[in-house]
Amino acid sequence: MTFRRLPSGGRIDRNRPVGFTLDGKRYRGFAGDTLASALLANDVTLVGRSFKYHRPRGIMSAGVEEPNALFTLHDGARTEANMPGTIVDLIDGLTARTQNAWPSVELDVMGINQLAAPLFQSGFYYKTFMGPTKGAWMFYEPFIRRAAGLGAATEAADPDRYETRFDFCDVLVIGSGAAGLAAALSAAGGGGRVLLVEQDSALGGGLLSEPEQDGWLQARLGEIRNASNIQALTHTTAIGLYDDNMVVLVERHDHRQPDPAKGQARQVLTMLQAKAIVFATGAIERPLVFANNDRPGVMLASAVRTYLNRFGVAPTGRAVIATNNDTAYAAAFDLAAQGVEVIVADSRTEIPADLQRRNSIEILAGTSVVDVKGKNTLHAVLDGAEQRTITCDVVGMSGGWSPVVHLTSHGGIKPVYNAAIAGFVPGGFAKTHSGAGAVMGTFGLNAAIREGAAAGGGSIAIAAAGGEDRPYAIVPTWMPPRRKGKAFVDFQNDVTAKDIKNAHQEGYHSVEHLKRYTTLGMGTDQGKTSNIIALAEMAELRGLPIEQAGTTTFRPPYTGVSLGAIAGRTIGGHFRPTRRSPLHDWHAANGGVFIEAGLWQRAWYYRWAGDTPESAYVKEMGLVRRGVGISDVSTLGKIDVQGPDAAEFLNRVYVNGFAKLPVGKARYGVMLNDDGIVLDDGTTTRISETQFYMTTTTAQAGEVMSWLEFLLQTQWTDLKVQVASLTDEWAGMAISGPKARAALELAFPGVDVSDAKLPYMGCLDFSFDGVPIRLLRLSFSGELAYEVHLSADYAISLWEHFLKTGASLGLKPYGLEALASLRIEKGHVAGLELDHRNTLDDLGLGKMAGKEKDYVGKALRQRPMYQAPERWSLVGLELLEPEKRLRGGAILFAKDDKIEGHGRGYITSVTWSVELGKTIALALYNGGLKHVGEEIVCAFPLKNELTRAKIVSPHFIDPEGKRLHA
Amino acid sequence: MLERRSALAVAHPFAWAALTLGEVRGFTLTQVAGFGNFAADVAATAGALPETSNQAVESNGRTIFRTGPHAFWFVGPENDDLAARLAGKAIVTPLSSSRTRISIEGRAAREVLRKGIPIDLHESVFTPGMFAQTGLHHTPVLLHCTAEQRFELYAMRTFALNVWEWLEDAALEFK
Repeated sequence: MTFRRLPSGGRIDRNRPVGFTLDGKRYRGFAGDTLASALLANDVTLVGRSFKYHRPRGIMSAGVEEPNALFTLHDGARTEANMPGTIVDLIDGLTARTQNAWPSVELDVMGINQLAAPLFQSGFYYKTFMGPTKGAWMFYEPFIRRAAGLGAATEAADPDRYETRFDFCDVLVIGSGAAGLAAALSAAGGGGRVLLVEQDSALGGGLLSEPEQDGWLQARLGEIRNASNIQALTHTTAIGLYDDNMVVLVERHDHRQPDPAKGQARQVLTMLQAKAIVFATGAIERPLVFANNDRPGVMLASAVRTYLNRFGVAPTGRAVIATNNDTAYAAAFDLAAQGVEVIVADSRTEIPADLQRRNSIEILAGTSVVDVKGKNTLHAVLDGAEQRTITCDVVGMSGGWSPVVHLTSHGGIKPVYNAAIAGFVPGGFAKTHSGAGAVMGTFGLNAAIREGAAAGGGSIAIAAAGGEDRPYAIVPTWMPPRRKGKAFVDFQNDVTAKDIKNAHQEGYHSVEHLKRYTTLGMGTDQGKTSNIIALAEMAELRGLPIEQAGTTTFRPPYTGVSLGAIAGRTIGGHFRPTRRSPLHDWHAANGGVFIEAGLWQRAWYYRWAGDTPESAYVKEMGLVRRGVGISDVSTLGKIDVQGPDAAEFLNRVYVNGFAKLPVGKARYGVMLNDDGIVLDDGTTTRISETQFYMTTTTAQAGEVMSWLEFLLQTQWTDLKVQVASLTDEWAGMAISGPKARAALELAFPGVDVSDAKLPYMGCLDFSFDGVPIRLLRLSFSGELAYEVHLSADYAISLWEHFLKTGASLGLKPYGLEALASLRIEKGHVAGLELDHRNTLDDLGLGKMAGKEKDYVGKALRQRPMYQAPERWSLVGLELLEPEKRLRGGAILFAKDDKIEGHGRGYITSVTWSVELGKTIALALYNGGLKHVGEEIVCAFPLKNELTRAKIVSPHFIDPEGKRLHA
Repeated sequence: MLERRSALAVAHPFAWAALTLGEVRGFTLTQVAGFGNFAADVAATAGALPETSNQAVESNGRTIFRTGPHAFWFVGPENDDLAARLAGKAIVTPLSSSRTRISIEGRAAREVLRKGIPIDLHESVFTPGMFAQTGLHHTPVLLHCTAEQRFELYAMRTFALNVWEWLEDAALEFK
């Protein structure tokens, strides 16, 4: 037995035992334990196998920096891999599994990797990419993936709930150690809203492991509870700092065992904007690099102390503390006080006298641990002034402390090396940022409190802690002593000091290259214990001072974040917003089948016409060609254009003339982007001398609105025009077919809708049952057709009125599929052709453009490339092989072309023509209508199809427009 | 014979201890814009106009929001003849059908809104009478604080049911 739970002490709740399992075996711990502390209390010291070499590993740390003790937690869909046991709150029923070992961590067959270690040395991945033969990577990859790795994620959907939210505060304090507590209290004295965030399960930071300062801690925690303007969050990690003082916080609720059915989130991601930020993020202890420093039982000295003081878990007999600074002595004295025999191997030749005076421990100056031998028992090999081998339960190592500068540098300010503390500290702060405590290299408790109070604004005095601050007094040691055996720098990635030497020898000198070559600093711990050591070693190899070698870039997130927290509730039906027409409820209740069109849910077809879209749309098309149908066109963009200069404005926006459009008349218009490419088309009606009613395509509605506002606000500020979106205000329904006028007469008795009163492209505004109605004679289908627009609130009521009054005519609804197919027969272009790549001429609309007037896009549409005669342009196609299919996106070739490359154009839209009894299509083809009558080949490589078709005019029906004017 | 129907006709309003979600129906929304000093003409007819774009003004039974440098929203009773009275004096656009007015009330209201609205909703900052043109679930909304614990959200009609569904889901933990 090497570890045991002490009969008393620690911050665990001994009245609340907690049961959990590791690899199916039952254990007990207490509330307040972490998974790691509970395992140590149960004397479980071997908890995993290393990434590449499958070396046995134990718990090294007591915090987020843990490289070794990674577990897969929970079962089934809740499986979560690679969780450091040092940050997992022990909750009743927790199931944990060790990773990367088979059949078990004790007997791991992959341990054989150690024998093949030369194969796995740094740069191995890259070397297999490069050779020895072309297929080397292909050959090795499956073996590497199987042999090396971390835990496996589940592919099942995450059953838990995650939230994202926004919040604001005046002062954000990150970290709740002594400096953070002082900063929060000081800031709160200024009256602002203070948010104190702590990643641990309890406030206090390092003080949680210092029983002698508990009085100070409890007093401050009491003050924080009583301060109405401090919100303190535990289990909350600031994972990243972004522009404008935005900090992303992730709060974990696992300890509350949240129930997703009750809306309780497992994690909450907050995008916080703080007016000021105090970084009190502390420091992380570094390991020492010596042979076999990764054996289970070799831990950070501060972790040994945390397990002892916070969790009441102590080594049973003897401990060796290896250090190069004063801080590890706290662990040594605390262990000795619990009756543990302690030998300190201090690499410094001079040791402060006050430490030596305390005779409870044995101190060996000028002595280092150089190796650890033994499989089940640790034998620490000491070398230097004293040469001994000591059998012990634990080796506590302290290579010094690395300030947690990560967040302070996310904004781009690189940390700088401070030789006095042998570590990197923040290289500066933005105006509203400050730092306090260990992150600044201030390791003394009272100094940290003073610094925290100042950083918080200094508005109230913060009591000092008991005792004197003692110096840190580090004499840094980076390189391992020359010994056989692997001396690890990055435990998680199995990177040794020798790998760093190899990288140096092969020319990977920059710290960024070193990282990528060796994988150092990657993985779940992101090198929190290893980065500084590695770059110090590289600096030494290069003969440079450390400050010149620099650091790698720190990027968010500071610690691992579950994808669920990032997604929040933006999943399933809430992945993106859904837009519904004012007629939606009617469609849903009356056999409408919906299809997504952008954000819209649109009525695709109706059950009255068939149970599949293929059967239904043809029947619905027939209804419009031979009788009368009604269709929901509310999704069209609608814009109110008003002002004395409205006509002039539209005349500039559209390629064709609008200045002289008479009141009460509609006109089809096309607008270009300023690059000469078609932006959108639609029909605009003149309501009065100063008011127009514009419609746009459904797809471009938002873009056109923005475009008009942009032009008015930046280009033509002299024009007196106001635009307002009416897309949501007005509903629209199309009444189409030879019997459309009859349907209107039945619906609106007493309203004159005769051809004389309401000719093609005419507009009639009238009031029906007190509700304003706008009746436009327009046609998308090519039939006699009208659009009826009115306030959206009344849409369903009027729609039902049409169906009722038009029943004798056989009036029925038709959906999007039929709507889109009818326009193909007519040869009208729509979204599939207006795809932001085509010019006016490509679409066969060049003749519309005004010759005299100016309009947006006029200059650039004249570019020679846009006018080249061989550019593609709009054609119609007829299928020549009835047993085959034409498909949208098919690539077009001339009859004798070799079928390869991009061809001469492509099919944009396809439909079955009810009128012609054959499959037809719209397409873009080089040279366009010059090729009418030619047979071409439509290639669809995805299905390996070649289909013959004939080029025809795109106006498949009624080219003279007789029906429109009926 | 023609009847109005809300975009939230199929939604289910609820009242829990911490949160009430409902719809305010029967109002007239009129957008008034213009050029030059049109605002003086409008004020002569409709009463004093707000100077700032974050504080609503209650006047003559209407709530007035300044939605832009040269634009206002007037939210009045169901039968409001404001549009007719302002004809010729300003650019008037009736928008009553275009927005759905969702009410959110209760001690959880601010926290529910925080889940989607990226502005500072602290009770010391976003106080009764204030409003903001912001976004919720990728759609533009106008949020009006009508009392310490009550808000009205003007959502685009075609997104309104989806915004409602989003709010219902966001509120779940307070049921």
